Amino acid sequence: MNENEPFIGIDLGTTNSVVATVIDGVPRVIASRTGQTLTPSVVAVARNGKRLVGHMAKRQSITNAENTAYAAKRLIGRRWGAPEVEDARKVLPYDLVPGPEGNDIRAMLGGRAFSIPEVSALVLAELKADAEAFFGRRVTKAVITVPAYFNDGQRKATKDAGRIAGLEVVRIINEPTSAALAYGFGKQMEKKVVVFDLGGGTFDVSILDVGKSVYDVIAVGGDTYLGGEDFDRRVIDWLVFSFAQEHEAIDLRQDKMALQRLRDAAEHAKIELSEGRQSAIHLPFLASGPEGKAALHLDRQLSREKLEDLTQDLVDKTISVADRTLRDAGVRTSQIGEVLLVGGMTRMPRVQQAVKSYFGREPSRGVHPEEVVALGAAIQAHALLHPQKGKEVLLLDVTPQNLGIMVVGGYFATIIPRNTTVPTSQSHMFSTVQDDQTAVRIAVLQGASDKAMENELLGEFVLDGIRPARRGEVEIEVTFDISADGIVGVSARDSATGTRQSITVTATSGLTETEMRRILEENLDEMLTRRQVGDFERLRDRTRAVIAEIESLSPAVKEALARSRFGKDAVLRAEDVVGRARNAIAAQDLQQMIAVEEQLDRALQLFKGLAGGTPPGGKGP
Amino acid sequence: MATVAELLDQGVKSYTRGDSAEAERLWLQALEIDPKNERVRAYLRQVRGERPGQAAGADRARPERPEPGFAPSPWDAGPASSPTVLVEEGAGLDLGAIAEKSDIRPLVADQRPPSRPPPAGDVATWMEGARELFALGDFSGSLEMIERILRVDPTHAEARAYLRQNESTLVAMYESKLGSLATRPRLAIHPEEVLWLNLDHRAGFLLAQIDGAVSYEDLFALSGLPRLDTARILASLVAEGVIR
Repeated sequence: MNENEPFIGIDLGTTNSVVATVIDGVPRVIASRTGQTLTPSVVAVARNGKRLVGHMAKRQSITNAENTAYAAKRLIGRRWGAPEVEDARKVLPYDLVPGPEGNDIRAMLGGRAFSIPEVSALVLAELKADAEAFFGRRVTKAVITVPAYFNDGQRKATKDAGRIAGLEVVRIINEPTSAALAYGFGKQMEKKVVVFDLGGGTFDVSILDVGKSVYDVIAVGGDTYLGGEDFDRRVIDWLVFSFAQEHEAIDLRQDKMALQRLRDAAEHAKIELSEGRQSAIHLPFLASGPEGKAALHLDRQLSREKLEDLTQDLVDKTISVADRTLRDAGVRTSQIGEVLLVGGMTRMPRVQQAVKSYFGREPSRGVHPEEVVALGAAIQAHALLHPQKGKEVLLLDVTPQNLGIMVVGGYFATIIPRNTTVPTSQSHMFSTVQDDQTAVRIAVLQGASDKAMENELLGEFVLDGIRPARRGEVEIEVTFDISADGIVGVSARDSATGTRQSITVTATSGLTETEMRRILEENLDEMLTRRQVGDFERLRDRTRAVIAEIESLSPAVKEALARSRFGKDAVLRAEDVVGRARNAIAAQDLQQMIAVEEQLDRALQLFKGLAGGTPPGGKGP
Repeated sequence: MATVAELLDQGVKSYTRGDSAEAERLWLQALEIDPKNERVRAYLRQVRGERPGQAAGADRARPERPEPGFAPSPWDAGPASSPTVLVEEGAGLDLGAIAEKSDIRPLVADQRPPSRPPPAGDVATWMEGARELFALGDFSGSLEMIERILRVDPTHAEARAYLRQNESTLVAMYESKLGSLATRPRLAIHPEEVLWLNLDHRAGFLLAQIDGAVSYEDLFALSGLPRLDTARILASLVAEGVIR
C-alpha cells in the first residue's frame, strides 16, 4: 500500500456525520467544502429532480419532507416488518416500501425506490468528496463507526453503503470504542468508562472496560428516540404558541416554509445558548398576514433559563436511562473512572450539570463532543493503514454480539461470546431432551438476551438420523466457525454416528450482489450525468454572458447601420443566432448550445466591429 | 410620460382586473399620442362594446378570484409594470430573439393589429389579450391572462402552449438577470434593513436561505417553489439591491 495514501475515519450518525483523518500524527476533522465540520445525514430529491445531500437537503427537509430521507441509520440493515422499522414508519415523513425480495426496506424519494445502504452511501460519498477536496486526491479507504448494538446485518449494510460510495471499509468499529480511543490517544487508561452520547436523534449510554489495547463494551443502553431534535421541537412549540397568542389564529406549523425557518432558528438558538445566556430569534416575513395584509415577523428572545425550563424533562430522562443502564450492568457510579461526553447536545450546560451530579464527577471535555467519534475512527484507520509498532492501539475485528443456539425452554445458549476476535471456531456439546429422539432443530441466533425469542434468528436447520437412545445419552457437538470475512458456519454432529448437518450464515444488508452491481453502474451513470449538467451550466452561463454583451452593443450597432447601407443582413443573421442560443438555453439542449457557440462568438465579434465603427467584413484599424 | 406601449399594457391590466373605465381612460390617452394606432382602437371598441348594461359586465370582468396557490405578492405585478423587453416595431434584438426562442412561433400573433374582431366571451378576450401581451414582450401580463383562462378551461390547448412558452421565457429572462446560477448570492444590505423591505413570506423564506453558502441553482432546488416563482423573487431581490 502506498505509504502516503490518504485514509479517513467516518462517524456516520443518525442526524449528522463527520469525517476525520490523522495528519502528522495529529487527528483532525476535515471540514466540508463549505467549511462546516458536521454534515447532516440527510438526502433528498428536490422538486427539480436534483439530488441534495447534507446541509442543502436539511434546509428543505420540511418544505419537501416527503422526498427527504433522514435517520436512515434507524433502518439500515433492518428487515421489513421489524418492530424498529414499524416504529420508524410512524414518525418518518417519507414512504418506506419493502424491497424486491420482501425482506429489506426501500425509501421512496422523487418517485424512485432507494435501498437504505444507497441513502447512507450518498452521505458517505459527500464526506468522501470533502476529504478528496481536502487532500487534493482520491480517498478510498475508511474506518466507519456504528453503534455498539448493531448486529452483523447492520454492519454489513454499513459496509455496503461504503462500497456504493466508492470506499473500501477497512474496519467497522463501535462508536463508544471510537470515542474512548480518541480520549485515550496517547494516554494509558485502565478503568471503567461511561460514554454518554446524546446526539441529534438518539441517546446511547455505553459502559466500557478500557485497558491497555482493550476496549470492551460491557453494557449498552439508551433511547433511540431521544436527542437534540426533541430539544429543538420544544423551542419550536414555544415559538409557535407565543406567535399564535400575538397573531390570533395563525398556526405556523401549518405553513411548511415557516416551520422550516422555525426549526433552523430553534436549533441555532439552542446552540447559541450553550455559550451565551440570551439568543435573539429574528425571523422577518415569516408568515403571510391575514386577508392579504403585510407579511408577519417573529421576534423573540430566548434565555438559557427558558430553554432549560422547556427541556428539563428531557434532561431528566437521559439521567434515568443512564441510571437504568448502570443498574442493569450491575455497575455503581463510584466504579466509573471516566465519563465521556459525546454528541452535540452534551454541550448544553444543563446536560453537563446533570451528568456531573449523577456520576459525582466532572465529565471529560478534552475533545469536541461532536467530533470525538470520527477522530477515534481516524486514529484507528491510521493504526490499521500505517502501523507503528507499539505506538498505537490496534482494535481487532470482533463479533459484535453473542452467537449461539436455542435450547430447551426457549433459552439462548451462547457459543461464541461477543467481542471474540475473528476468525474463530468454538464448539459446545449438547444432548437430546427426549427418549428416542431422532432429530434435533438447530436455531442459530445472535443477540444479548437470555431468551431466544428476543434475539435475532440468523438461520436454522435440522439434524436427523440421530441414533435412538434415552434422553441425555446422545451427544451432539455444535460448532461455530467465523471466517475473517464474518461468514458464520454452524454444524451439528452426532458424535456416535458421525451424522452431520451444517448451515452457512452470511450477514446480509438486504442487497443482492446483482443489485449491488446495478447500483454501482447507476452511480457511474449519475456521475456522468452530473458532469454533463456541469458542462451545460458552464456553457449556459457563458452563452448568456455573450448574449448580454451582444445586446449591450446593439444600440451602437443600430446607430452605425443607420449611417450605412451595409451590414443589415449580417445583423439579422446575428439576431438569428442569438435567438437559437436562447432557444437552446430554454430547452436545456447542450448539443444545440455547442452548435451555436462558435457562431455566437462570431456575432459578438461582428457587433464589436460595428459598434467600434468597422463595417462588417471590413478590416479593423 | 408613458409610451403608447406602456399605456396599452396598463390598460390591458386594468381591463383584466375588471376596471374597464380605467382601461378606457388609458387607451384613450394612448390614442391621443398615436391616433392611428389600430390596436388601441380595437381595444376601445371591445371595451365599449361590453359596457352597456354593465352591472353584469362588471361582474363578468371581475370574476370571483380563485384561491391563489400562495399569498398575493407585491412583486407579482412588478415585472409587468415595466416590460422587460420593449422594442420599436421592426427593430431591436430582443424581439427577434424572443420570437426565435418561442418554439411555438406559429401561434404568436405578429406585430400587426388584429385584423379580425375579437372573439366573443371572456376566454376569447383573455386569449387575445394574452397573445397581444406576448407579442409586446409582457410575458408576465400574458401569463396572468393565460392563468385566468386555464382556471376556467384547464384543457385550453392554445392557453397551455402559451403557458409553457410564457413560463420558460420568463424563467429564462429572470435567470438571465441573476448571472451565473453557480454564483452564491449574499445579502447586500444590513440585516436590520431587511425589515424595511416589502416582501411576502415566500420571498422572506428565500431571503433567509441566502447566506453566501448556497448558489442560485441550490436555491431553486431548496425553495420548494415553482422555478418561475423562485426566479422572479430572486430577480426582484437582485433588482432591488437586496442581494448581490
